[in-house]
Amino acid sequence: MTKEKNGTKKTRVSWTTVRFTATKKKRRFIVIFAFVVMSIYSIVTLFPIYALIIRSFVPTKEATTLHLWIPEAQEVDMNQQVGNLAVFYDLDLRDFKKAMGIPQTEFIMARTTLKEISQKYKIPEEKIKDYFKNFYILNGWITLLFKTDFFKALLRTFLVTAISCIGITVLSIFTGYGLAGLRRRDQMFVYNIYLLQMVIPAMLILLPQYQLVQWVARLIPGYGNPGLTRATTQLLTIILINIKGTALSTMIFTSFISSIPKDLEDAAFIDGTTRFQYVWRVLFPLLKVPIVSILVIQFPLIYNQFLEPYVYLDERYTTVLPLMQTVAGQFSTNFQVIYACVVGSLIPIVIIYLIFRRFFVEGVLAGAIKG
Amino acid sequence: MRKDLMKNRNHHKSKQYKRRILTDWLFISPQLILFVALTIVPFIISIPILFTDMARYDDPQVNWIGFKNFTALFKDASVQNDYLPALKRTLVFVFLNYTTVYIFGLSLALLMYEVGFRGGFFTIIYLPLMISGLGIGYTAVMLFSRTSGTANLLLLKLGILKKPIDIYSPGGTMFILPLLVGWRYAGYNMAIFLSGLLGIPQETIEASIVDGTTYWSRLWKVYFPQMLPSFLIATTMCLIGSFSVFDELVAMGALYYNPEAKLLSVLFFMYGFQVERLAQGMTLAVETFLPLVFIGIALQRLQRKLAYTQ
Repeated sequence: MTKEKNGTKKTRVSWTTVRFTATKKKRRFIVIFAFVVMSIYSIVTLFPIYALIIRSFVPTKEATTLHLWIPEAQEVDMNQQVGNLAVFYDLDLRDFKKAMGIPQTEFIMARTTLKEISQKYKIPEEKIKDYFKNFYILNGWITLLFKTDFFKALLRTFLVTAISCIGITVLSIFTGYGLAGLRRRDQMFVYNIYLLQMVIPAMLILLPQYQLVQWVARLIPGYGNPGLTRATTQLLTIILINIKGTALSTMIFTSFISSIPKDLEDAAFIDGTTRFQYVWRVLFPLLKVPIVSILVIQFPLIYNQFLEPYVYLDERYTTVLPLMQTVAGQFSTNFQVIYACVVGSLIPIVIIYLIFRRFFVEGVLAGAIKG
Repeated sequence: MRKDLMKNRNHHKSKQYKRRILTDWLFISPQLILFVALTIVPFIISIPILFTDMARYDDPQVNWIGFKNFTALFKDASVQNDYLPALKRTLVFVFLNYTTVYIFGLSLALLMYEVGFRGGFFTIIYLPLMISGLGIGYTAVMLFSRTSGTANLLLLKLGILKKPIDIYSPGGTMFILPLLVGWRYAGYNMAIFLSGLLGIPQETIEASIVDGTTYWSRLWKVYFPQMLPSFLIATTMCLIGSFSVFDELVAMGALYYNPEAKLLSVLFFMYGFQVERLAQGMTLAVETFLPLVFIGIALQRLQRKLAYTQ
């Protein structure tokens, strides 16, 4: 924060001094130019996100025309055949029967029109029309929220993300404290092992890592059958992979803790604290900057993690991102629900991002300097 | 000096010093055990597997086949047919993605530096990093699908495009993918360069302004030489990132119907989890990434050297 604030101040100071020089006009031109370009880029940046939100309301049938606003719900043609509705509205007949009060045992032919259904089962036409009116634009969201495990998956994602974020912070502080100063050969060795992570691509170790985890997991009683043990083990695996530490986390904490004067530690020891108490009571409050920076970098990565949960988790214990892939496979022609899922997974993290945006700015800039 | 040395030597033997090492290791070990178990050990156990014909992780029958997996790249036509196009696509992608680091990241950082730091711009530009990799892939499909892409339809209506871009065509995939990945990481790359820019002493910039330099020559003679570490970090990050790009490709149908999005990471994944050629896939991964590991280490050395000299 201090660094970035100083930076701003300094540029402003330089502005006032420069104002009286001959290049005044030129510089003002550069600033205006920069401002305009940045504004245009910001609009272009926001457009895809806006388009995603709109498209989650646009029925697949209407997708070939340009929509810059949520389309109006159109009335359903009562002469439509049920079979075609399944294509145009991604209609699930079982849901339709349930909503209309038709017993599930009734068989409706694909050629049957809505009018015929209305006459046969004595359902007022208005009721059918209303049903499809809602379905027209909200199909994606209805399908996502009521026919998939979206909320459960979201809950699991939050659980994994929260535990992983806390875990990696605490363990990285420990590592940083143990390595602080990098004075001895063993410390240097450990530090270099962590640096290796930066150059070992995740794909290279994914397959053997999966093997190893399977070998160990099979030793746990109850892992073979679906149940709480299996779910816990699988989620725990993801958490352990997330908190195992990265080159960045080690670098940030080691360099920051090394810069704290050793006198502080000596003074604390003379006062009779143990090393653990020192970390918890003295060091922890001093580490605000690196903690913020590691959290803002790790949080989106963990929340948006796809590969590991996709490989390690069973479908029934899945988190949001693998669920998105399942949804895309299950409703492969229904793009409304896929975009709804993308937007749905985006909403919580964007809210958190906007609430803590100040920390993101500070943390990312500080992390970039150290990293 | 000698006193210092003596002190050190005594220090070395003291009980306190040994206890210090021990407690240091107590603090290091929880994360180190996890790191070694989940990164280093998998790396080591993968080595013997490379010399077998293991098809999947629970293969009941594993035979020793020597160096066959390694030479397959040069002899086996089926492997070559999978690998070489994927390698070509990956290299093209890495190159294009690396240019986006500068097109988006560097230029935005320079612009931001001129405007003076604005939190609002930063918040917006950093926002796409909140979108998941899969989300980016689906966004790409949403924007540039041939008949229903929103961006396609908009650009056609505005008359900028004559013909819609098809994301599933060879050129389309290779153009759109780096564009969207670059868009996603724009904020992050901007932060890397911006922190380099903010670290430049103001005196040098003011001196160059007083001397009446143009913006262009100031860029090359004042800014860039002083933010060299930022360039190295951005390069390392981009190289590692673009070789492991995966989620975006999955969303673009790389695992099933879009062979144009089949980059190396997808190929390794398919060999391991879909077509039952686990050992072969791992060998190809090693053969691909080993040179990268050395490049990465060299870049890191360079970075540290620069950090010391500054």
